[in-house]
Amino acid sequence: MTQIEIRDLRVEYKTPKSDEAFVAIDNISLDIEQGEFITIVGASGCGKSTLLLTIAGLVNVTSGSVTINNNTVNGPGRDRAVVFQDASLLPWRSVLGNVKFGLEMQRWKDDDIGERAKRFIKMVGLEKFTDYHPHQLSGGMRQRVNIARALAVDPDVLLMDEPFGALDAQTREVMGDELMNIWERDRKTALFVTHDIDEAIFLADRVIVMGRDPGRIKEVMKIDMERPRNAAMFESDEFAKYRRRLRDHLEEDMASMHLVTEVA
Amino acid sequence: MMLDFYRRNEAIILGTLSLASIGVVWQFVVDAGIVNPFFISTPSEVFAEASIQLESGKLYKNIAASMYSFVLALGLATIVGIFLGVLAGWFRDVESILEPFIWFKYSAPTIAFYPLFVAWLGYGTPTIVAIAFLFALTPIYANTLSGIKNVDRDLVRAARSFGARPLDVFLQVALPGSVPIIVAGLRLGVGRALTGVVVAELFGASAGLGYSIAYHAQLLETSKMMVSIVVIVLLGVVLTQLLTWLEKKTDSWRVH
Ligand SMILES: Nc1ncnc2c1ncn2[C@@H]1O[C@H](COP(=O)(O)OP(=O)(O)OP(=O)(O)O)[C@@H](O)[C@H]1O
Ligand SMILES: [Mg+2]
Repeated sequence: MTQIEIRDLRVEYKTPKSDEAFVAIDNISLDIEQGEFITIVGASGCGKSTLLLTIAGLVNVTSGSVTINNNTVNGPGRDRAVVFQDASLLPWRSVLGNVKFGLEMQRWKDDDIGERAKRFIKMVGLEKFTDYHPHQLSGGMRQRVNIARALAVDPDVLLMDEPFGALDAQTREVMGDELMNIWERDRKTALFVTHDIDEAIFLADRVIVMGRDPGRIKEVMKIDMERPRNAAMFESDEFAKYRRRLRDHLEEDMASMHLVTEVA
Repeated sequence: MMLDFYRRNEAIILGTLSLASIGVVWQFVVDAGIVNPFFISTPSEVFAEASIQLESGKLYKNIAASMYSFVLALGLATIVGIFLGVLAGWFRDVESILEPFIWFKYSAPTIAFYPLFVAWLGYGTPTIVAIAFLFALTPIYANTLSGIKNVDRDLVRAARSFGARPLDVFLQVALPGSVPIIVAGLRLGVGRALTGVVVAELFGASAGLGYSIAYHAQLLETSKMMVSIVVIVLLGVVLTQLLTWLEKKTDSWRVH
């Protein structure tokens, strides 16, 4: 079943100087199945975050449409939750308070909130840190809270914008592994922005490669590897083939970017 | 062990020592005949005079009068300052409307308005409260404004992603995020309210520490005057410390 339908999507930003609007993404059409894990890669500035935030309802559509479960998106909604790159936790709230936050904002019944939040804190392995505040946690732990907060509101679609971007390579791999384990349980539809090629392949059913000027979809690459995935797959020939193809695409873009900087 | 104790309380110990040494020097320069006691009295005389004023109830009466004005002025400044600061921080238009007054307040010395207040409110407590209120208002307002206005945009976006309404954003993100800076504004306000009370009492009052200073100064009674000065300094230190402590408590979640 198609859950997300993106049709001829164009998003412009107002520019501070000129009257002309800046086209961040254009001509984007994509159907996403329920339960699909989509990863999005592309050079910096090609509109990955814009696409994700537009689906989240946090950035306005200029033309075209985004439809989720047949409802047109025109703002944030209970059917979606976002995992932000910089965690965006409330620093004055404990881990528990932060996971409860999303539930409170969505007006869940008071009796359910505490227990439910604790269940998700446990799921991400932070039950010992329930009463800690964000500044007492490591970057990886903060991202776990960020993920727990999003999962707790039981969204149909999980939107993740480089959630592991600020983490070191090792923590990143561990978190990717854990995310897969959690995702395998109920296979929610997921969109995941990353600039790490291995991560993109490892997590995805399909990898969306975006290009720039203007931001657009260059290729959609289906990843035919069985699930559950495991670390051994990184070494497989299949994985190497996907990796090479993705590299080629991305390098093309990098090359054109150099050209731009040299001309400028 | 002694060393440990010292390390943990270094600031307090050194501060007490330096204060005590000022007392010693103060006493010494007078006893040695270097400075005429008429100008600065001596610690022992001030202490003796303080005991007399304490017994007669005069000191208590002056402290009570000043504290009454102080609490009233600070209370009003807190309510009005936070209220206006929140409005101005949340609504740009309100900020623009209030801006000229704040400019005015920053650049013109409040005490210049003293005669006006006397004309409106007469000599005494109402005028003292009004002046102290104006003294304390600016930092409380300015800090509240900047706290609310500079709310973390990423947190607002996160809240909105979960469907937060504007009132949710205000109550759950902007306000709690501003508490430390508002308390810092209160700490400044405490010192300024106290200054306002004392200055206004110097000009016209029938009781209070500032009044007592002005009164004894006219009679050239240095020791009696010094009692009030010392009490004011102590009050200022204690009240400001209290707020510093509160500030640390509300600030604990910030990354230092
Ligand atoms: N709020 C905004 N106002 C104006 N322009 C914006 C805004 N947000 C993004 N842009 C512009 O839109 C383009 C796409 O930005 P976006 O953040 O979507 O890229 P990205 O692919 O996520 O990049 P990165 O990999 O660096 O995160 C960029 O050129 C950026 O300058
Ligand atoms: Mg981005």
